[in-house]
Amino acid sequence: MPEAALTGLGSRRRSRRLFAAGVVLVGALALVALAAPWLTAYDPDAIVVASYHGPLGPGGAHPLGTDTLGRDVWARLAHGARTSLFVGGLAMVVSFAIGMTVGLAAGYFGGLVDAGLMWLVDLVLTMPSLLLLIVLATIFPPSILTIPLVIGAIGWTTFARTVRGDVLSLRERDYVQAALALGASDARIILRHLLPGVLPGAVVLAALRMSGAIVVDAGLSYLGLGVPLPTPSWGRMVSDAQTYIAVAPWLVVAPGVAIALAVIGFNLIGYGLIDLIGERRT
Amino acid sequence: MIGYVVRRVLRAITTLLGTTLIIFVLVRVVPADPAVTIAGPKADPETLAAIRKDLGLDDPVAVQYGRYLARLAHADLGRSYMTGRRVADVIAERVPATALLAATSLAIGFFFGLALGIATAARRGSLIDVAVLLGTLIGLSIPGFWLGNVLIYEFSYRLKLLPLGGYGTWRHLILPATTLAIGEFLFYTRFVHTNVGGTLASDYIRTARAKGAPPARIYFVHALRNALIPIVTVLGLDIADLMSGVVLTETVFNWPGLGRLAVQAVFGLDIPLVAGTVLFAGVLVLVANLVVDLLYGTIDPRVQRA
Repeated sequence: MPEAALTGLGSRRRSRRLFAAGVVLVGALALVALAAPWLTAYDPDAIVVASYHGPLGPGGAHPLGTDTLGRDVWARLAHGARTSLFVGGLAMVVSFAIGMTVGLAAGYFGGLVDAGLMWLVDLVLTMPSLLLLIVLATIFPPSILTIPLVIGAIGWTTFARTVRGDVLSLRERDYVQAALALGASDARIILRHLLPGVLPGAVVLAALRMSGAIVVDAGLSYLGLGVPLPTPSWGRMVSDAQTYIAVAPWLVVAPGVAIALAVIGFNLIGYGLIDLIGERRT
Repeated sequence: MIGYVVRRVLRAITTLLGTTLIIFVLVRVVPADPAVTIAGPKADPETLAAIRKDLGLDDPVAVQYGRYLARLAHADLGRSYMTGRRVADVIAERVPATALLAATSLAIGFFFGLALGIATAARRGSLIDVAVLLGTLIGLSIPGFWLGNVLIYEFSYRLKLLPLGGYGTWRHLILPATTLAIGEFLFYTRFVHTNVGGTLASDYIRTARAKGAPPARIYFVHALRNALIPIVTVLGLDIADLMSGVVLTETVFNWPGLGRLAVQAVFGLDIPLVAGTVLFAGVLVLVANLVVDLLYGTIDPRVQRA
């Protein structure tokens, strides 16, 4: 679903509350990721109970139970937060950088540059992103760096479109026209006059892109094409657990809830910002 | 109108060419030697050289791309390395399963989303509004592949009502289609809710109300017609995303469609099969977008002049 097409949450007061909830969620998640080694007594890769007992249910020394290999689920989940946030964050930064550059150039220079760049946007939008990612994941051996780069290299189109649209309307504003008339250089107009104007819109998209990238990363890991083992990742935890779903359903529940919470957090921030920024602008 | 149609078709064709170029380039940089994939790692250098010559891998890149295009024009997507069968045949076999799953889910999700979105659109600022926004926000954050597993646990393991996965009867279709349809449903509910809601708040609707137009007319003739433009746009964009959802859902439910084919081909380093599947999916999205563009011109005649 093209989720960037969804708009804000309605009233401003409501947006402020939901935005705050998003900040709290993401903050908690970031805290878990940063403090992971201190939040659990176990190494995420260590086999902490003899596996022939089978996976242990939640409770006691293992708040979320242990998995089929006898590893502590909470330890893997907490360390998985690091993987997810890192992959999502880097992917978002890559998309942000490419999308900003393309959008600013297309909107400002117009003409052939615009036509060419927008053709490229159409092209990337046409390719089913997960299939393209699967192909790219086979070309570049998956690692903690290539996965976010590849996800980022595909997810920039919404940035480019939005930024281009904003630039087109900003160009007509008096202060930009004045700068043009004064003979300011292209670089100066883009960086000093246009960039600050397109940033609010781009920040909203950045939050939404972050949640998008986390979902894509989880999907790739689920297919076995994500960050390779032994790095703990939430998507991989789901696919590892699904064979044992009848005997150990908690193994599937925990990573799924983690993914959903991360995505909800960033979406709340993003959709909340749409209304907060939008109302300030008008 | 004719000029508009020609422009759209031309754009679709250039995008198609771009798609083939991207796939061609990607396939060439895959770090697996096709000759080794075919002949096996123990093949002697002469055999490998012969296979390379046979496949034309020694020719200049431009020649190879030209040959690739010429073959595509004859619907020749090459042969699968894994099975030696024609890629076009393999894909054709898998299309019905994917089409069934995708079409069912999209139709159900879109229809119910449209209905609930319209039904709740007039309730802006009410508790229903909050429920729709929060519910869809949370629901859309749940990854489909995870939801699929939860459904399997509940309906296949615990209640033993439906098969775990696989393909064949309508009972096999229920869980995968539900998994995909829930996401689509939530998305369209929210999208239609906000868009029709926004339209209902505009001046010309107030005018229509003041004139005493019946509510049904206000909804379906005035509001929906205008909200239809963004809805149709999003429907076009959604086709590409639906394909991504299909890949994951097919994997969860062992559904023998294009998505699982692509994943299997990637793991088997079966390059022609990967390239063929991605190209086919790309063409599908292109055609869907072209249809949307043309619909657009009909729904909103102003677009034709743009």
